[in-house]
Amino acid sequence: MSRSSRRMFLQGSVGLTVANFVPGTAPFAQAATMEEQTIAAAKAVGKADVNGMIWSPYLVPMKPVIAEFTKETGIGIGAVQEISIFDAPQRAMAEALSRSPQFDFIHIDSNMIPSLASAGYLEPLDEYIKKAGFHLDTVADYGNFMKYEGQTFGIPTDGNVHIQYTRKDLIDDPDNKKRFADKFGVELKVPETWEDNLRLQEFLMDPSKDLYGSGNLRNRANGVTWWYMIFYSAGGFPFDDDMKPTIDTPPGQYAVDLYLQDKKVNHPEAANWGTPQMIPRIAQGHVVSCQYWDGTCKTIANPKQSKTVGQFYFSLVPGSKFTGKMVHRSISSPLAAILINKYSPRKAQAAYLALWLGSGKNSIPIVSDPVNAFNDAWAKEHMKAQPVLNAYTPEGIKAVETNFQVVAPPIYLTGYLEFQDALGKNLSEAYVGQLPAKDVLKKTDNEWNAIIGRIGRNKLKKDLASYKAVMPTKAVPT
Amino acid sequence: MSRTGHIGPPDTSSAKSQDMAVDAVSAGKVPLASKARSHSRRLAVRHFKLSLLVPLIGLFLVLLTPVLLLQLYFSVHQWTVYLSSWWDAEFVGLDLFQEVLTDPRFGWAVVRSLAFATSSTLGCFVFGFLLAYLMYKPFRGQACYYIIFILPMLTVPVVVAYTAEMMLYQSGPINDLISRIIGVDFKPAWLTNPDIALATVALLEIWNWTPFSFIILLAGLSAIPKEPIEAAEILGASKWRIFWEVQLPLLRPVILLALVLRFLEAMAEFPKTWALFQGGPGSATETLPVYIFMTTWQYFQISKGAAMSYIVMVLMIIIVLIAINLLRREKRSLDKMYELRTKDAEG
Repeated sequence: MSRSSRRMFLQGSVGLTVANFVPGTAPFAQAATMEEQTIAAAKAVGKADVNGMIWSPYLVPMKPVIAEFTKETGIGIGAVQEISIFDAPQRAMAEALSRSPQFDFIHIDSNMIPSLASAGYLEPLDEYIKKAGFHLDTVADYGNFMKYEGQTFGIPTDGNVHIQYTRKDLIDDPDNKKRFADKFGVELKVPETWEDNLRLQEFLMDPSKDLYGSGNLRNRANGVTWWYMIFYSAGGFPFDDDMKPTIDTPPGQYAVDLYLQDKKVNHPEAANWGTPQMIPRIAQGHVVSCQYWDGTCKTIANPKQSKTVGQFYFSLVPGSKFTGKMVHRSISSPLAAILINKYSPRKAQAAYLALWLGSGKNSIPIVSDPVNAFNDAWAKEHMKAQPVLNAYTPEGIKAVETNFQVVAPPIYLTGYLEFQDALGKNLSEAYVGQLPAKDVLKKTDNEWNAIIGRIGRNKLKKDLASYKAVMPTKAVPT
Repeated sequence: MSRTGHIGPPDTSSAKSQDMAVDAVSAGKVPLASKARSHSRRLAVRHFKLSLLVPLIGLFLVLLTPVLLLQLYFSVHQWTVYLSSWWDAEFVGLDLFQEVLTDPRFGWAVVRSLAFATSSTLGCFVFGFLLAYLMYKPFRGQACYYIIFILPMLTVPVVVAYTAEMMLYQSGPINDLISRIIGVDFKPAWLTNPDIALATVALLEIWNWTPFSFIILLAGLSAIPKEPIEAAEILGASKWRIFWEVQLPLLRPVILLALVLRFLEAMAEFPKTWALFQGGPGSATETLPVYIFMTTWQYFQISKGAAMSYIVMVLMIIIVLIAINLLRREKRSLDKMYELRTKDAEG
């Protein structure tokens, strides 16, 4: 190297070093990727093994990505308590009440964020996000699901949005098409409204061949999720600005009626079936149509797990014209996310690990695992990544992207589980004939008022802003 | 329990009693020697009891009392977990107890729990007794059968629930098997019909815990003295009469013990009910433990959950006191019977 060029090199280096310390110029000077910045920030807080609560179907596909992070930073996973996503809220709340530092992170339904943050358990992640130059690049406004009272409390690992599954082979069958058109005077196609969906299910079901119209869940724990979709699409919202319940209203009753009509087209044992029973039935071709979590796309598209590869249309969930114009509302629940324990001595390490797992690029192998299919696509980067397209099929990913534009949460308030179970119990009682359909909402209304009284109307009125901020604004996806 | 079926202080055989009586008469000091011996025996028994009880009471005070006091604190303070710390909770006196006692959901949970505990306890007893009766006389391969019969008790309840879930579908293997055996289509919806959901858990409970009753009753049957049975046989009593008039009365305290222990255990059944139903379908399986769990850990109403637990604890204490009373009565009647026998032998 000549003398002059050496000087030029040194001058350039000094210039870059200086630029690194000038506020606002860091991204240009460092020119590092988000992932590299996360590693740099994580190295600064030191090595540690972080302990957490996470269900193995979620953890298994994360392990290689975590191993990479451990190699770079020395931050890895220590003890893991395996608890299913459905049982995690109870355990997490027990941790919160005892202010226990046992877990550094918990992997849980993000709808628990208001309750856990109100109980003082959660560490806000905004400072870590800033230090790591991290950006949650989600499809549509999905990133809002991680926020509560303006702060970010979670990093998603699982989109878990509901999409519509309709049997392609059945609705494209010329004989079925003709019979349907003769009977109803309209074309047999993927349903646009809840009423279309029900009619199609009734028409095509054949219990003698173990083919039922619906594959939706109607058990006490999960069934309520379907009610929300119908209710929201009918223009309903569960509370007014004064935190008075507004479910015992025409949109609420419309949702109850449609919810209960599923009994005509669903399997007789659906009243207590959950995912372990229903997913195999969908994948084995015993269902005409349903709205289900998007991960089922991966199962259906995997010939080792499915008898219906290529036999389903994946699309937008049905909507409703109840308000006079078409409104579609999908739902994401439980949305699995990593939350950090405020009382943990290793919260910084756990937070950076969460950011590492929450990068669109890093999470591609996590959401595209065709066997451990619990983590579902949610980042913009996922929507065009080939492994994800392979796992979901391009049609599946298009459906995921479309539904994300109109995705809503269940009740995003402090006391979420209590509100949810009151409604779920009453809907379940009506579904099995223990409670008249007309009493479901009246009874729920009373129970919700008691919950509001107990938690505090003013407290919940404050929460309401966060809930509304998570609701989608589009009536129909573009 | 001694070989003679006597509960409580050690008994002496009738032959030994006879010898002692003869010795005492010959020495001419019957009342004095007997009194001294009896006093010293009472002292020894008291020492033995204290040596067992004092550490247990100590452990109770150290471990349980703080929990019970904390529970009591919660049940008279309304703590909203999202708003304040537990030490800032508002004192509400007995309001929460009143709330629980007027809560129809709690009332139904009590009814369901009592129905569940009664039916499953009786089921465990009937099957346990049948098995014990078949097994109490030694025979070849007895140990093998014994191991097989106690296996269900060694199975973790949650595993029982998940296995049952796979087998009890309407078109599942159990219904299919029964249909083939009886030759008629047998299709109860074990897991989805709210009218039989609780019975499903009770059947699983019976399968899971019959071995417990079996072990207790087998021990009881084996400990029944042979003499009264042999005497009845000599007098020409039928097997049924021997069973009904000799064995069953002698076994009554053991039966009562088996029933009480099983009932208390069944009242607290949670893992199978939760794993299979989570309180559903509808609210068909919302038993006391399920409702307390939901109130405390799903609704996070820690205070109401604590009040409920206290009420249930009182209910259980009442049941235990009744049981202890009955057991004492049984013991007294047996003691009386043995006293008479001893006197007869002496006479």
